[in-house]
Amino acid sequence: MSLFQKTATELSGMLKSKQISAAELINDVFARIDAVEDKVQAYITQTRALALSQAEKVDERRQKGEDMPMLSGIPLAVKDNIGVKGIPLTCASKMLQSYIPPFSATVIDVLADNGTIITGKTNLNEFAMGSSGETSYFKMTRNPQNLDHVPGGSSGGSAAAIAAGEAVISLGTDTGGSARLPASYCGVVGLRPTYGAVSRYGAVAFASSLDQICPMGRSVADVSALFSEICGPDKMDATTANRGYLDFTASLDGEINGMIIGIPAEYFSDAIDADVAKLVMDAVRVLEREGAVIKQISLPSTGYALPAYFIISAAEASSNLARFDGVRFGHRANEYVNVDELIEKSRGEGFGDEIKRRLMLGTHFLSAGYYDKYYKRAALMRRRIQAEFEAVYQDCDCIVSPTAATTAAKLDENMDDPAKRYSADSCTVAVSLAGLPAISVPCGTALDGLPVGLQIIGKRFSEEQVLKMAYRFETATGGPKSLSVINQ
Amino acid sequence: MKIDVRHTAKLAKLWLNENEIADFEKQMNEILRIVETLPELPDDGFLLDPENVMSLRPDIVEPSLSRSELLANAPQKQAGCIVVPKTLKEGI
Amino acid sequence: MDIYNSKYDIVIGLEVHAELCTKTKGFCDCKNEFGGEVNTNCCPGCIGLPGTLPTLNEEVVNFALKAGHALNCEVNLYSKYDRKNYFYPDLAKGYQTTQFDVPICHNGYVDLLEESGETKRIRVARVHIEEDTAKLIHEESFDGTLIDFNRSGVPLIEIVSEPDLRSGRDAKLYLETLRLILVAIGVSDGKMQEGSIRCDVNVSVMPKGCEVFGTRVEMKNVNTFTGAVRAIEYEAERQIALLESGGKIFQETRRWDDAEGKNFLMRSKEDANDYRYFPEPDLLTLSLSKAHVDALKESLPELPNARILRLMKDYGLKFFDAQLLMENLEKCAFFEECAALDKCKPQNLSNWILGDISRLLNAENLTLSDTKLTSKSLCEMVGMIESGAISSAAGKTIIEIILYEEKSPGDIVKEKGLSQISDLSALESIAKAVVEANAGPVEQYNSGKTNVLGFLVGQCMKQSKGQGNPAVLKEILLKLIKK
Repeated sequence: MSLFQKTATELSGMLKSKQISAAELINDVFARIDAVEDKVQAYITQTRALALSQAEKVDERRQKGEDMPMLSGIPLAVKDNIGVKGIPLTCASKMLQSYIPPFSATVIDVLADNGTIITGKTNLNEFAMGSSGETSYFKMTRNPQNLDHVPGGSSGGSAAAIAAGEAVISLGTDTGGSARLPASYCGVVGLRPTYGAVSRYGAVAFASSLDQICPMGRSVADVSALFSEICGPDKMDATTANRGYLDFTASLDGEINGMIIGIPAEYFSDAIDADVAKLVMDAVRVLEREGAVIKQISLPSTGYALPAYFIISAAEASSNLARFDGVRFGHRANEYVNVDELIEKSRGEGFGDEIKRRLMLGTHFLSAGYYDKYYKRAALMRRRIQAEFEAVYQDCDCIVSPTAATTAAKLDENMDDPAKRYSADSCTVAVSLAGLPAISVPCGTALDGLPVGLQIIGKRFSEEQVLKMAYRFETATGGPKSLSVINQ
Repeated sequence: MKIDVRHTAKLAKLWLNENEIADFEKQMNEILRIVETLPELPDDGFLLDPENVMSLRPDIVEPSLSRSELLANAPQKQAGCIVVPKTLKEGI
Repeated sequence: MDIYNSKYDIVIGLEVHAELCTKTKGFCDCKNEFGGEVNTNCCPGCIGLPGTLPTLNEEVVNFALKAGHALNCEVNLYSKYDRKNYFYPDLAKGYQTTQFDVPICHNGYVDLLEESGETKRIRVARVHIEEDTAKLIHEESFDGTLIDFNRSGVPLIEIVSEPDLRSGRDAKLYLETLRLILVAIGVSDGKMQEGSIRCDVNVSVMPKGCEVFGTRVEMKNVNTFTGAVRAIEYEAERQIALLESGGKIFQETRRWDDAEGKNFLMRSKEDANDYRYFPEPDLLTLSLSKAHVDALKESLPELPNARILRLMKDYGLKFFDAQLLMENLEKCAFFEECAALDKCKPQNLSNWILGDISRLLNAENLTLSDTKLTSKSLCEMVGMIESGAISSAAGKTIIEIILYEEKSPGDIVKEKGLSQISDLSALESIAKAVVEANAGPVEQYNSGKTNVLGFLVGQCMKQSKGQGNPAVLKEILLKLIKK
């Protein structure tokens, strides 16, 4: 087995015992990138030279006998809406084609201090808006499980990179499902932490009240390790929760005996592919065999989550993306007669259609005379959805559902129908609105040969339970999935 | 409810080509149709969240960014400042 | 046109923006400083780089609460932040962080104090926290408009009055009172020339006796208190003239041009900005403990109106002098320190502090703390004048020395021979000599030209080398001449 195929947990042990060096590992991963990146197209920017020098430093530190954190020397791919000082940050947009941030995201600072090696910046839907992975200005990432299919989005590059062995772990972001969905489509593990568990500082905002940076990996243990490092309060992000966290890898192997799993009827409707629903229910039975208690529950407002999510995310985006005006950084139009036109043309040229559509809708939702009808209703619905989750959590420990209604679509399949594309998030957005933690863990392969994800949703700040449940499921079904063979 | 694309584009400061407007209008009206399914709910003072309050920052000066780093991405600079076409004195 | 004696009442509301003199900016830890080298007090957040987030300065909250207390407001123990969205090159993020529907303080008032001791109460609708924009620099020689982001994110409080003001004079007094209060409680440096306090003015007119307000016009760019008076009177006159000629007032925003003394249409109601306010998702609910809010109220110093009245009552100062002292807290404190020594008359102390001392400080652009002046030395000097030991003229000489040197006025008098001759016999012999030598002027005086007396006193002073007591000399001269 090549190094690039192993999990961070395995590799960490090998690095610690000096069986391998960080330099060897990173070289192996870049060799893999050279072999498959043409087909997968996961990266916008590769940071090869930086990665090599980082790896050498880690090796030096270890040689000196320093006790290195678990993820030191482990190759990490970073979604290209998370800033790394001195490395281009594009958000897959023409708008930021030549933008280089003068500071790093808090999570990047933490990981870099711990010796994690950054392989590069991964592709995404432009400004992380969308669930297919298809609206990047630069390239289209393919699903490593089947190159004719989308990787899912918006963290498509981060999911595809680890699914293809082009990195061992990765960081994504999740607003309405952007980490969980591609994890599900590409057959990897993605955790959306509780809102406020991980600092958003340095991640380019799409919808501030929903965005979270997410750890992704090929095993639950890897995701736990990455989450353990990046979670915690940050003085640069006023929305991070002021609380202490444990090392989540230590409690993974705990019992789930007696834990109550809620199965919400609304997440198993006709809109879910029968094939997907069956695999998810099979997974539920696995958990039941492991000692969990299954309980039927109802979350009646689930159907309203998507419109509420769309309104809130578009409204916040219309404000968050106002700073891209061609004045201080980013794309500036060549021709303009005054400052108004400079701003309008720079934005008109710099943003893709999907962005423009959402920004105009978001503007409309907040504009005079419409706020009450759109934004306010959505915010109130969000409160109701939160309350419904709180109510069911009186009687259960976590909730299980499919991550996505279907497996990954074929490339270009829904490009012309934005409304249909937005519905891909139908199983993930309610969790985002409620600010709850949720993980997507692979639970089998559908008849079309593509992976299906099991979504485990926890109470606020119950990542420990969520990870434990996911780990138990993963272990009971043969451990982390091996790398996909890249076809064609 | 139909959306006025031209007005909204103006508010959002997005330059659109005439030939794009019809497509945008169709797609956006389709989305409005979906989001308008949201019912009206009683206002419970959702704006404030006493359960989840903010911690504040102490009033202590930290070093700022150097000007060269600050303006490294600026499209047009002069005399240590960013430049835009001549404007009126204030915006608000 | 005399707008105050017309058929109309003028209704004025003011929105005052005061920059808070905290050490750091409102939402990041950059230095809050006026006049720094362009774009040097800036972090990524100040220019709105993607990925930056706001963190609220606790001192900004404290300052806003102090202001709220000083303006007799109620405090909202829970308040929130909102975004006001609009595009302009001085607005780095494309939105201003502000408080829209739940401000930190509301429902207060300011009492405007008149010389008579009567007050007029102006209600304050709200006080909220927001941030300043960057500064645009307009110079012909540049390629365009330049932007300096040092001011971007500087904390402001906006104080919104109810439409209780009825004249330009009211408005000016209100602004002056606000300024005194904000400076007294230490939340603003009050420096008008640096734009530390600015205001937007809302003006409407209505027929006298009417209870329904007319259509309101907003005026921007009013940057001085006297400018506010002129802007208000200009706008009221414009509206009255328009109504009198059968016209109609439209709700609009006009821009005051102080140099021209006119205002110009900025935008009509149709073009009004649609600010698309919504809750700021990057900041959570602001929660205040009652104990903290109350403690800040307790910590407030004596407020200007109360202090002015006390200065008048305790020290017998004139209203105008008490008000002037209040304008400068350092001088006011120094006055009270001197007065407490009880060595001389408070009014004389006040005259010296507001007169010669202020003149000398202003000329050198100094404050009292830059000088060596002590309450002891000033009182000693004023006491010597009061006892007739030295003349006022000698006092002027002494003050210039004790401002910069640690010397006692008594020593200076000895050193420079400044003591005043009050010995009657010595003065009488000088006066006699002068009368004898000036038969002509004496004659003129006796034929009714009494102003030559000043000339004769001057001659005596000359003879005494400036040490004669002019009041005493005058009396002696009169006796001699009338003989």
